[in-house]
Amino acid sequence: MQTLREFTRKTKRGNILKIVREHYLRDDIGCGSELCRECFQNEVYQLTSQHANKSTLFKFPHYLVLDTNVVLDQIDVLEEDVLRNVVVLTTVLNEVKHRSSAIYKRFNEIVHDRTRNFYVFVNEHHKETYADREPDETANDRNDRAIRLATKWYDDHLQASQSSKEFERSGKAATRVVLLTDDAANRAKAEAEGILVTTAAEYVKSLEDFPLLMDKLSHKTFDSEKNGLPQYPPHLSMKELLEGLRQNKLLQGTFQASRENYLEGTVNVEKFEKGILIQGRESLNRAVDGDLVAVELLPEAEWSAPSEIVLEEKNVYADEVPSEERAKDENEMLNQVRAAALSAERTPTGRIVGIVRRKWRQYCGILQPSLIEDTNRHIFVPADRKIPRIRIETRQAAMLQNQRIIVTIDTWPRNSRYPHGHFVRSLGPLGDMATENEVILLEHDVPHCKFSDEVLSFLPKMPWTITDEDYSKRVDLRDLYICSVDPPGCTDIDDALHCRELPNGNLEVGVHIADVSHFIRPGKRTGHGGSGPGETTVYLVGKRIDMVPELLSSNLCSLVGGVERFAFSCVWEVDNEANVLSKRFHKSVIKSKRAMTYEEAQNIIDDATQQNEIAKSLRNLNRLAKILKKRRMDNGALVLASPEIRFQVDSETHEPLEVEVKQMRETNSMVEEFMLLANITVAEHIATEFSECAVLRRHPRPPPTNFDPLVKSARYQGFQVDINSGLELSHSLDKCVKADNPYFNTMIRILTTRCMMQAVYFISGSLQKEEFFHYGLAAPIYTHFTSPIRRYSDIMVHRLLAASIGADSTYAQLLDRKSNEELCHNLNYRHKMAQYAGRASVALNTHLFFRGKEEDEEGYVLFVRKNALQVLIPKYGLEGTLYLKSDKDGKDGVERVKSEIVFTFNEEDHTQRCGDVVFHSFDPVTVRLSLDSSNVQHEKLIFRLVKPYIKGFSVETTTEGTDSQAVSAAPPSKKTKKDKKKK
Amino acid sequence: MSGKYDLLSEQGLRLDGRRPHELRRIKCKLGVFEQPDGSAYMEQGNTKVLAAVYGPHQAKGNQTESVINCQYSQATFSTAERKNRPRGDRKSLEFKLYLQQALSAAIKSELYPRSQIDIYVEVLQDDGANYAVALNAATLALIDAGICLNEFIVACTASLSKSNIPLTDISQFEEVSGGPKLTVAALPTAEKIAFLEMSERFHIDHLETVIETAMAGCREIRDILEAAVKEHLLHMGSASDFAKVG
Amino acid sequence: MSTNAAIDLALDRVDWRDLAAQTEEQPRVYTPGEVLMPEAGFMRGHGTFVEDENIKSSVAGVIQKVNKLISVRPLKSRYVGEIGDVVVARVSEVQQKRWRVDTNSRLDSILLLSSVNLPGGELRRRSAEDEQMMRRYLDEGDLISAEVQNIFEEGSLSLYTRSLKYGKLSQGILVKVFPALVKRRKMHFHNLPCGASVILGNNGYIWISPTKGQEEEGGEGGFAQNLNEHVPRADREVIARLRNSILALAKCKLMIYDTSIQYAYEESLRYEAHELLQQNAIYDIGQQTQGRLRDADE
Repeated sequence: MQTLREFTRKTKRGNILKIVREHYLRDDIGCGSELCRECFQNEVYQLTSQHANKSTLFKFPHYLVLDTNVVLDQIDVLEEDVLRNVVVLTTVLNEVKHRSSAIYKRFNEIVHDRTRNFYVFVNEHHKETYADREPDETANDRNDRAIRLATKWYDDHLQASQSSKEFERSGKAATRVVLLTDDAANRAKAEAEGILVTTAAEYVKSLEDFPLLMDKLSHKTFDSEKNGLPQYPPHLSMKELLEGLRQNKLLQGTFQASRENYLEGTVNVEKFEKGILIQGRESLNRAVDGDLVAVELLPEAEWSAPSEIVLEEKNVYADEVPSEERAKDENEMLNQVRAAALSAERTPTGRIVGIVRRKWRQYCGILQPSLIEDTNRHIFVPADRKIPRIRIETRQAAMLQNQRIIVTIDTWPRNSRYPHGHFVRSLGPLGDMATENEVILLEHDVPHCKFSDEVLSFLPKMPWTITDEDYSKRVDLRDLYICSVDPPGCTDIDDALHCRELPNGNLEVGVHIADVSHFIRPGKRTGHGGSGPGETTVYLVGKRIDMVPELLSSNLCSLVGGVERFAFSCVWEVDNEANVLSKRFHKSVIKSKRAMTYEEAQNIIDDATQQNEIAKSLRNLNRLAKILKKRRMDNGALVLASPEIRFQVDSETHEPLEVEVKQMRETNSMVEEFMLLANITVAEHIATEFSECAVLRRHPRPPPTNFDPLVKSARYQGFQVDINSGLELSHSLDKCVKADNPYFNTMIRILTTRCMMQAVYFISGSLQKEEFFHYGLAAPIYTHFTSPIRRYSDIMVHRLLAASIGADSTYAQLLDRKSNEELCHNLNYRHKMAQYAGRASVALNTHLFFRGKEEDEEGYVLFVRKNALQVLIPKYGLEGTLYLKSDKDGKDGVERVKSEIVFTFNEEDHTQRCGDVVFHSFDPVTVRLSLDSSNVQHEKLIFRLVKPYIKGFSVETTTEGTDSQAVSAAPPSKKTKKDKKKK
Repeated sequence: MSGKYDLLSEQGLRLDGRRPHELRRIKCKLGVFEQPDGSAYMEQGNTKVLAAVYGPHQAKGNQTESVINCQYSQATFSTAERKNRPRGDRKSLEFKLYLQQALSAAIKSELYPRSQIDIYVEVLQDDGANYAVALNAATLALIDAGICLNEFIVACTASLSKSNIPLTDISQFEEVSGGPKLTVAALPTAEKIAFLEMSERFHIDHLETVIETAMAGCREIRDILEAAVKEHLLHMGSASDFAKVG
Repeated sequence: MSTNAAIDLALDRVDWRDLAAQTEEQPRVYTPGEVLMPEAGFMRGHGTFVEDENIKSSVAGVIQKVNKLISVRPLKSRYVGEIGDVVVARVSEVQQKRWRVDTNSRLDSILLLSSVNLPGGELRRRSAEDEQMMRRYLDEGDLISAEVQNIFEEGSLSLYTRSLKYGKLSQGILVKVFPALVKRRKMHFHNLPCGASVILGNNGYIWISPTKGQEEEGGEGGFAQNLNEHVPRADREVIARLRNSILALAKCKLMIYDTSIQYAYEESLRYEAHELLQQNAIYDIGQQTQGRLRDADE
């Protein structure tokens, strides 16, 4: 069954090592075709005749073999559900994996999709198709040969199977094998060997039924530019680069394009703190933001300074050949910059000579309207200003106008001003809520596709019932007066509470958490796409991206009232002073007596006439919660605040109607207190049970310097903020109360929040016990246990807890420290991204709210920056920047270049002064809010000063702002930050 | 767990093309030296080991028990990067003890009071599962030396792929690719385990299947070794017509 | 430095197994742990043990049945002595009233002072003086020929040299082969026609020496050792050739006894003595000798 051969490979690892590895060749690898009569097939046929590709080039049934370059370049074509019956060689798979893990991941998704009929053929271990590397043959050539060998073998193999009389009688055309490769040399050799071969482009064009697929083809060249003059210096070859890097002639680093100036960027190199400045089109030499590049440092005499010019590229049109005029223009600009740089502080400057590794991804943006009708060539403007425009070819330009689309870069040849790319897909019409949400999710790497059938197949079948076996394994708590308290409209109820008096006078308090881990079993794919666990539910305004399928989140796991549900219970016995006497954890069956809103619960507590069990239980809980909270505060827990906005979204139009700030009630804090208690109790338990691999959450103590702005601004207001310990900080924050300004304390707390570090998940084995501390909660140990419906971390904690009490079996990964560590890392990342996405969504909705409005609002200066004031509008909980100097983008905002207005920033006490007006933190201001829609891709909210009045700067209360909308027909916008210079 | 290779491809093949339960190719030879009482050479994949046995001979001192003395060494050229110390390093000393432990379970030491048996193993090429191959070679050498054994003592390694499929006989490439490694030395017929070592912790759910996989590997290796021993005996013996006492 | 070194390429290596080509009826061979037969009605002998009511083999070898006694003989092992065996041994330690000698067995063997002939007649009493003189008679490193007189409980052998043919060995060469290769026969002292004498120790130690004159025959039986005697070159060449021939037999796993040695010696004459170290020559001699032996058997 197995044939053995050995092969030798040399690898370099500092020294040259000769590595000999065994490589077994087999004769038991099936070809995966249903036509085959010879192979030992142990699986379902992947290659069938039911789904044939119809091509005008090959008018007979055929299978496709893809070369590596086709997979790498045409992944967008492959992702379309068009090509079928594809033989994927392991040679190709390995090469793809090696070259680009992102594409490998995407390609794997396709391969796994059984409906696509992609079959992985292990040609590298098949004894007939293995190609030994010949002396003097490059690895690439060998792989090409292996691909051809396998194609040839496949074709012959199928021919042999189809040569029977029986088959001939059936009258079917014989199935052949076609190789798709974009490598001309490989193609020529294949042709010589009698293999059917063509390019991916030719083949796609020959598909009659899918004309639009051509748009997704990656283009290496455009016909019109084939003969164009080189506009960029050539890149060094990889060999030269490595040599240069080795000899330290070149430096390697990540290229970061400048947001303000498209002709400028920096390369972050270890040796230089600020990175190396790159100026000018030729020096940038086709680097795109994020690329790993090699830089040559210029002699010190040629060093320059970062320009203060804001430079945005003019609109260009696809067929426009860059005129000399513009080149001149650019040069002029460059010279200007250089001249200016002479006086300024110069930084190391260099030019990019080669690209080590491209970091191209998919870009979101819009199609630029074309001047010429009936053309296929278009210019794509990415939303991200750091990314250059991209030239694409599409036949659907008319349809794509005013849509947000996704485009990817294929290549950037020397003779093209812009990189070449191709259209991937459209997200939807510009400004549409769904489209914009999609953009937010995409930009924050939130997986949001529908749950796959595979995931859904793991769900329990409906109608779901609790079996006797379930009852026997769980503690029956159905008789207890358990109820849940949540915000209104909450459908994913993951926690419920109860409290009852025990005969001995003590109280029994239970927190019951939805038993999600009962349904979501380890090792099964449960999330979206292939991103693996570590997800979290993302809340956008008016939309929720669930972590678990809705059946679970809103039904089976949700602890709705009056229904029997599985729960994971944490039950304490406490005395009347809220001291925990004992605790226990168990899985249970509960039947929530009532699901309430905070308001309802509050009303019950307050209504003395209500004396039923629920009311009593709630009052007891409320009483205990107050004690717990007090105790926590005394320990130094911080009460922090952040401005939080909530929009009422119209259910029909999905347009926001009015903003509403969340209301805090006693009951909110009551639920919170018990959740904290449960989390802490569970954290203590799992940390003792699993000293190496418990998933915990910590909040590191911020370094004292973080508090500088807070301490300084509070001092100005006459308050001493003590930051030595959490307790002192907490106390001093409590004292920051101004009778005339009830909002002051909140602002102080908002500011304190900004000084904090991010709380993170970690593994108990990775840190010392002292470092487990949660600063904000003043808890020595903490974890997340109470929201398993929306956080994956909680599911992990549930599993650990279940394992520790013997309620569930453990499994290898659960206890694997390394995998848990990676999981935490991913959790933290997802968490952060979900937060950002949430914020972006709020911003989007704020914009919608202010569309076509202009309002004057009262606000406070939250803090003072070098060139701006951060202003908070309590009414909306909205925060924004009021630029004092030229707006960063230079173009929008307040047109104000009048030189007599000078703001001076005092770094010592964080103030801005203009004439006799001084801005301190917490100063009240009145600002005018309006939406700037001049750039369709970058709408933003503009803050303009109304009060205090500074002549020439503040907007007149009577006149309307006129200038903000007038910029769209962009004259070459260029503007120096004069204010800064005068400093 | 990105960054690490998965030891088993989705097509069910391991990095070197084997299926999960397959051993590497085994070659072995007995009686490779004249000088020692018994000797053997063993290749398991690219792991190559020589073993020599001296004895049993008179033990030093007033020992009444039998003494089993092993030495494990690895040739300086056995690894990709040259080793500085062929023997006496921590790993070698550890392996020496493990070898003694496992071999004591097989040798009928009650037959050798006051005698000593010296077993020297030298790894010529290191391609994973060194201990297991060394032990297998030592077994052959002991048999070659005509020392009485309860039965073959053989060792085999096993690992676990990320998809929790146990793998038999781990190669060096698989070791460095980050798979956990479990080594079992066993008396396969009696189904007794003489020695067990794990490179890292296995989850209890999988431990049993991994051990069973290693045991199955042991049984398979035993059969291969037995066939080799028989073949060797027949060839060597028939030269002198089995010395039929005339 | 230029020496003629013969280096064998792995490719040219001789496949020793070819010697075993003649295989009409292969005996059954057993390996350790293999079941020989049920215990009932049999007695277990060497190389076997009983487990689970079965007699199992503990070594790899062929089965031997003597009536009810079952034993398995390994092809190769340390010397297991039997009373009456002739051995060649080396003195390893002089102790009180006895010598400790190496006989290639599992344990050192013992030669008691009382088991040797002392100068001055057989019936002499052993005196305290003799004990002090022991090192004069036999010192560490001296070679002797002896016979196994007795086997102690633990398995160590007691030797004696109280016969004129045994005693201290003088000039000659010691060759070591696996004990199993030396055929047990009546005669272990041979004066070969080629002009040298061999003592084929049952323990695999073979002593080759120049044949002594008739008058000296009957051996020294004691401790005389004439190291000054000149052995002519021709004799020494014969001895060297004989040594290589014996080693060639051992290498080919052929039994060693007077006839086989004689045949091997004769076959070796086609080569220079030093060529006998090369694999091809060894193989050739082995093959030829084997053929002649088989012919002789028929």
